[in-house]
Amino acid sequence: MDSVISLQLIAAALITGVLYALISLGLNLIYGTMRLLNVAHGDLVMIGAYVAFMAFSLLNIGPLVSMFAAALICGFLGWLSYKCVFQRLLSASQILSRLEENSLLLFFGISVIIQNVAILIFSADRQGFEYLSAIVELGDVRLTGARLAVLIVGAIISIVAVLFLRYSIFGLAMNALIQNRDASAIVGINVDRVQMMSLVFGFGITGLAGALISMMEPITPVMGFPYTMSAFVIIILGGLGNLWGGFLAALLLGILEVFGVALTGPEWRSVLVYGIFILILILKPQGLLGLGKTAR
Amino acid sequence: MLKNWIMRIFVAFGIFGVANTVQAADPVKIGFSIPKTGIFASAGPSQMNAYLLWQDLVNAKGGLDIGGKGRRKIEFVHYDDKSNPAQAAKIYEKLITNDKVDLVVAPWGTPHHFAVAPVVERHKFPLIGNTAASVALRKVKPGYLWFTSSMMPDNVAKAMTAMLKSRGVKSVAILYNLLPFASENIQFLKPALAKAGIKIYFEAKYPPDIKDMTGMLTKVKAKNPDAVLVHSYPGDSILYMNQAREVGINAKTQYVMVGPAIGFFRGMFKSNLDGIITMGSWAPTMKGVTGSNKFYTAYKKKFKGHEPDYLDTVEVYCSAQILEQAIAKVGLNREKIRNAINTMTFKTIIGDVKFNGVQNATTPTGFTQVQNGKIEVVWPKSRATAPVADKGPWAN
Repeated sequence: MDSVISLQLIAAALITGVLYALISLGLNLIYGTMRLLNVAHGDLVMIGAYVAFMAFSLLNIGPLVSMFAAALICGFLGWLSYKCVFQRLLSASQILSRLEENSLLLFFGISVIIQNVAILIFSADRQGFEYLSAIVELGDVRLTGARLAVLIVGAIISIVAVLFLRYSIFGLAMNALIQNRDASAIVGINVDRVQMMSLVFGFGITGLAGALISMMEPITPVMGFPYTMSAFVIIILGGLGNLWGGFLAALLLGILEVFGVALTGPEWRSVLVYGIFILILILKPQGLLGLGKTAR
Repeated sequence: MLKNWIMRIFVAFGIFGVANTVQAADPVKIGFSIPKTGIFASAGPSQMNAYLLWQDLVNAKGGLDIGGKGRRKIEFVHYDDKSNPAQAAKIYEKLITNDKVDLVVAPWGTPHHFAVAPVVERHKFPLIGNTAASVALRKVKPGYLWFTSSMMPDNVAKAMTAMLKSRGVKSVAILYNLLPFASENIQFLKPALAKAGIKIYFEAKYPPDIKDMTGMLTKVKAKNPDAVLVHSYPGDSILYMNQAREVGINAKTQYVMVGPAIGFFRGMFKSNLDGIITMGSWAPTMKGVTGSNKFYTAYKKKFKGHEPDYLDTVEVYCSAQILEQAIAKVGLNREKIRNAINTMTFKTIIGDVKFNGVQNATTPTGFTQVQNGKIEVVWPKSRATAPVADKGPWAN
């Protein structure tokens, strides 16, 4: 039992939870404000990872610096996709009613394009590099520098995102849009601008997460799909469009992945994770903190 | 030049689902499925690169020698099986019945070989397997499927036990992925260990999509076995390498099944990989093997200085060499190719290969170890390029 409550396991659960939170935040923001189902979400993780890999191998710049470049590049892609594709769709009321379905197909197409362009540029080969691999000892806890960096940066980004959404005027506008799009427009919120910024922030944070992941995982053009799946599980579990719910679900999954496995056995991992997921949705179909259907 | 770029852009945008290359008249169409997406997608390039290198080298000679009656270039037809064995079976059915390929080469991994075996049997298409081995499939005695790999799980169990005994190992911890090849290995390893008097202090199986091993490794550390045997694939091998260091697993014998032989893996872990033993029986420096170094040099030239995967890429290339030599002997008649595979001895980069039933009967089961950043064959002693060394402390 001692081994089950060790600080090492608590740290492992926090790292997994924080990483899940970081990956899912962008997806939740975009769904919450625009009802866009971004199935290309994991491909942004991939782009961020490649930015970090290229910066490291060509310029010897580590991911803790290049993650900002990854965020900027992915944020720019968010702006570009808004201006080229989604701005027009979101302004047409006939299309708006079918937006979730349409966005699914659109992002699927975008995902295929991104992956194939990445294969063309980088080849399908796996890439990897060694960065912050030394073990850091914090009392009884031993972590690789990379995993410790993920924990610290992930926690900071999550806290900043929460503060931004709660206290900044822009964050409040995003929250308003998540709650009620039409009412937001009536009270004078520039819906178009907030939507654009949601896409930019959502894409940017995901790119940054990708740069962090590059320190721990091999990088390939097709690495994104598992992250898309994880992000969807988390935002559905937390309540679609509910950012607090997303954080809670991410931490819950992190705890399940580590403590659930330690208590039962690794062969029970999938049963536990998806079993709890299904159970929560049966008991609370709108997710952990979901409040039912949001007025549009 | 412009045409080439236009073609690459079309392929990149998925307008063509198959590889298209401008070829001379009447190429030999060879089909296969490969995981470009899904859980095994990261394993696909090791196989794909071997096929592409083989195609390049053969086509540079003017193509495949068709039974001494002239040469024809190779044209590949391949589809993404999405890491789904059932999809692979459908793809082979389509390749044979719709695309009318002349021949097929292997998909990636044991589960996919299981799935496509009935298809190639039904259509009588010879398939020289690679990246796979299965005693269960061997027992069925398929007539059109062979395994290039010397890593049949029952043979691996014997070789592993012999190696552990030679190192004085008395106790082990076993961790294994639930995928078929790893599970089959354990099925044979446990009785072999018991017979040799080696105790299993800890055993755990885990799903392929495991995200954290800390709990499992904490228990391994508490048991303090002489050896830790991790039957893992690249994704979970990375987890092990990171978290074993965090938890402080310091056994002097540590085996990580798939991963350490791949270039990117060595780039990620560098000196921390020193002393890790892995599956494989090939190194470019191996003596008495023809073409081994030539293959290594050609691979690095084609793939911008990257090293081949010493396990999968080597095995895939070897299977292609076998097919090439069978075709050179008997032409494209599939029944004659089948007979040639059953009876010929093939010169390959892993040495002479001759089949006994479905199994490679000549290449001994072996292990490699990373030593000073290089991969050395350490088992069996008859093929070793260096003796097995202790796993020292982690580099950092």
